[in-house]
Amino acid sequence: MDDLLADFVAETREMLEASGGEIVAWEADPSDKERLDTIFRFVHTVKGNCGFFDFPRLEKLSHAAEDALAECRAGRREPDSTLVSAVLAIIDRISEMTDAIEAGEEFPEGGEDELIAALQSGETVDAVGEISPKKSEQSAADTSAEEAAPKAARAAVQRTIRLPTELLDEVMKGVSDMVLARNDLARRLREAGEQPTLDGPFDRLSTILADVRTSITRMRMQRLEHLFTSFPRLVRDLSNELGKQVMVDFEGGEVELDREMVEMVRDPLTHIIRNALDHGLEGPGERIKTGKREIGLLKFAARQSGNQITLAISDDGRGINTDRLAAKAVAAGIYSQAEVDDMSERRKHYLIFEPGLSTAEKVSSVSGRGVGMDVVRANIERVGGSINVTSKPGEGTSFYLKLPLTLSIIAALTVGSGGQRYAIPRSYVEEIVFGSSDHVDFAEAGERRLVTFRGKRVPCLSLGEILGTKSTDEIVWEGKTLVVIRLATDDVFALAVDRVYDHEDVVVKPIAPAIMETGLYAGTTLLDDGRPMMLLDLPNIAQARGLVNEMRSTTRVVDEDKVERRKTHRIMLFTGLDGRRRAVRLELVRRIDTIARDAIDIEGDRAQAVIDGAIFSLIGHEYGELPDEKCRLLRLSDGESEIVYAVREVLDAADMDGEIVASSADPSVEGVTLIDDRPVPVIDGHALFARYNAPRRLDRPMSCRLPADSDWARTILQPLVEAAGYRISTDESEETDVAIWLAENPAETSGPARRVIRLRPEPEAGEDAQDSIYRYDREALLAALKQTRMGVGA
Amino acid sequence: MNELLLMCLIAGRRAAIPAAEVQSVIEIDDITPIPGVPAYIRGLTALRSQALTVIDCRVALGFESSTEISGQRAAVVDVEGHLYALLVDEAYDVGDARSEPIDVPGGFGPGWRAAARCMVETEGGPTLLIDIAAIVAGPVAQAA
Repeated sequence: MDDLLADFVAETREMLEASGGEIVAWEADPSDKERLDTIFRFVHTVKGNCGFFDFPRLEKLSHAAEDALAECRAGRREPDSTLVSAVLAIIDRISEMTDAIEAGEEFPEGGEDELIAALQSGETVDAVGEISPKKSEQSAADTSAEEAAPKAARAAVQRTIRLPTELLDEVMKGVSDMVLARNDLARRLREAGEQPTLDGPFDRLSTILADVRTSITRMRMQRLEHLFTSFPRLVRDLSNELGKQVMVDFEGGEVELDREMVEMVRDPLTHIIRNALDHGLEGPGERIKTGKREIGLLKFAARQSGNQITLAISDDGRGINTDRLAAKAVAAGIYSQAEVDDMSERRKHYLIFEPGLSTAEKVSSVSGRGVGMDVVRANIERVGGSINVTSKPGEGTSFYLKLPLTLSIIAALTVGSGGQRYAIPRSYVEEIVFGSSDHVDFAEAGERRLVTFRGKRVPCLSLGEILGTKSTDEIVWEGKTLVVIRLATDDVFALAVDRVYDHEDVVVKPIAPAIMETGLYAGTTLLDDGRPMMLLDLPNIAQARGLVNEMRSTTRVVDEDKVERRKTHRIMLFTGLDGRRRAVRLELVRRIDTIARDAIDIEGDRAQAVIDGAIFSLIGHEYGELPDEKCRLLRLSDGESEIVYAVREVLDAADMDGEIVASSADPSVEGVTLIDDRPVPVIDGHALFARYNAPRRLDRPMSCRLPADSDWARTILQPLVEAAGYRISTDESEETDVAIWLAENPAETSGPARRVIRLRPEPEAGEDAQDSIYRYDREALLAALKQTRMGVGA
Repeated sequence: MNELLLMCLIAGRRAAIPAAEVQSVIEIDDITPIPGVPAYIRGLTALRSQALTVIDCRVALGFESSTEISGQRAAVVDVEGHLYALLVDEAYDVGDARSEPIDVPGGFGPGWRAAARCMVETEGGPTLLIDIAAIVAGPVAQAA
């Protein structure tokens, strides 16, 4: 049985149960208006639902009952016991039919006409008086006895139950608390040291808890289908109203989203649909003229990626008219003509999210009710999502919604101020810079503190000052870490905090109204050790400090810049250990690590660093002495392997808009470019990876068989082969990718192999071993192994 | 009236909180302060991995706050779905009200007026009955 039908049955049954008491009361007093209304609503709903499902018999019955009851409601007919009996008989029949539908059985033909006829007052009074009460009595009395057997059979069919969402929330809350309690216990167990008798059961508890948590989360999930099902009707009604023909297409209805989230996005989505139909899609005439199919297409596609859902709503209409949008923006005084002229096409599309803009020529009943896309955007962002738009003139418009899976868990950055931790939603965080960096300048404009970095001035707030724990005078700005915040409104400011701790997913819980009133906090969450931590309400803080409008001009410049930037190359500037400035292409930089000097091991030509238990090749140390304690490292990646580059200080990211003047003198340098009129060597990523590239780790490592009885093979050869990315096979029967034989032992055939490398003990090849390799000819051996790898890879 | 009451001491006066509204009495050891909130909110504390808003009853009633919080008792109450810990000087036993609630002519004094519903006789003498919703709303709301 499909979901919709199950819903129908569940709903009908629920209403039946709820109205059971009403029916009895109505029977006692047929003139009771309230009871009449309840029962009318019931049959009315059943009738409405039947329309969707093609249950003509059910519909006919409920329709007849509805008509009769409507007469009574309108006062044209006096409800008497006859009518009551007739209606009750019909309700009983509806109940029976619903059971049959659920069980997937065919309900026996006939009987409806009599029931319906019984509703007519007058002539059939006698007959009805006899049939109906009996029927209702019978079904009431026999439910337990006669129907017990079929009921039991049906019970197996019904595998879903309806629960109030509050109950689910309560259970979920309980489980979240259990997780926190578990974390606390885990911490205490750690402190107490190893306790084998406890650790086992505790691990089991953890596993079970994790499972329960997953299932509970799933309980709260709802398939997007539930949301989608209401759209075809909406689209149909709207398109009729607008005289357009629209086809709706859904994809990814099986994607699941938190129930609450589904409800939260319903309105924004409805608005987008209205807009698409009203402004986006053309009428049939216009569509044919432009060579499109006369039926417009509105497409919904949902996809889950990690703990985010992407929902795309696309139409194949005329696209956003950026000229008109820009003209409106100018007319509305939001931007000046010059500013608009400067905007990229993409930036102009974003004007659609500005408050007070609508592209419709005239306000229609469908859209343009004074609620614009700005509200949609605000609503989406309130639930921690984001919205994006792309549009091509004449081809259509797409809105992309990114939604978190649940409302209550958000990705956060934890920062410290005044010895306490606070959480910031990660979606707002654009960048983190150190106040002590050379390229960060602080300035004052009146009472406003400004920070300049990368050529932009943005307002700077100190978290300590916002929270009132520190006055502005005491703040040593250079000692702060600046978190660059980009709000949903595209307003940017820097938040100075004492330090940045970590990224973590936090479970947000509501806070008491009195705390909410401060306008500083959006919720609270508990750290692993059970201490509470406040979640900062950044939009509110910015709003309270007038940053939201004040910064508009800055924002715009930054924004334009971003679009421009794509044409140039982004590089990261740093000073090497010799104190000289160098640069590396930003794409190569995976992250910046700081490790202890002990974790670096240099011996002769070999230099390696250990980060998080993995070994990386180290470069850059040849330029100078490593610091005594902490070393800063750039972790560079070519997408497959990683190497680390020791630096003295990381300066800044910058645009490399000039050319790179190639230099051949130093192979590790790609060339020299001008940054702020100073020459900066750019390190050559290609050359670095060519030289230090660790062998790529294949998903399925290649296998290699070594002579089983040779100590030399085991102690000397095996590490080399493994370092080259091979797995040593010990399984006699396995066909390995390669086998290495020792020439002095040619008869070795321990197992099948696709390729054989033979090693000889003497540097010079003898006559019988032309194709063999000297066992200490490392280069040749590695080359042979590599060749094998390539051969298989191809 | 046979209402069960949690007897406690607030600002040196005998006070009582209806026991039915008290979920538990806890000892506060660690409070996470929340900068920027009114003074009567001392911060948050965690109870069985739930965050409680700690209300300093002395301050809420317009008295000076006590300096030493650690180890002080607090009554855990639920007001409109939010959990609060009401810091009291001392928390005694649960006892019966010995009399009907009575009003005292002339009132209980400025601080108590808003937060004390009435007075009841108990074993330990006359006791003020605390209105937890008013306490939680704080002095600001009371003034308004």
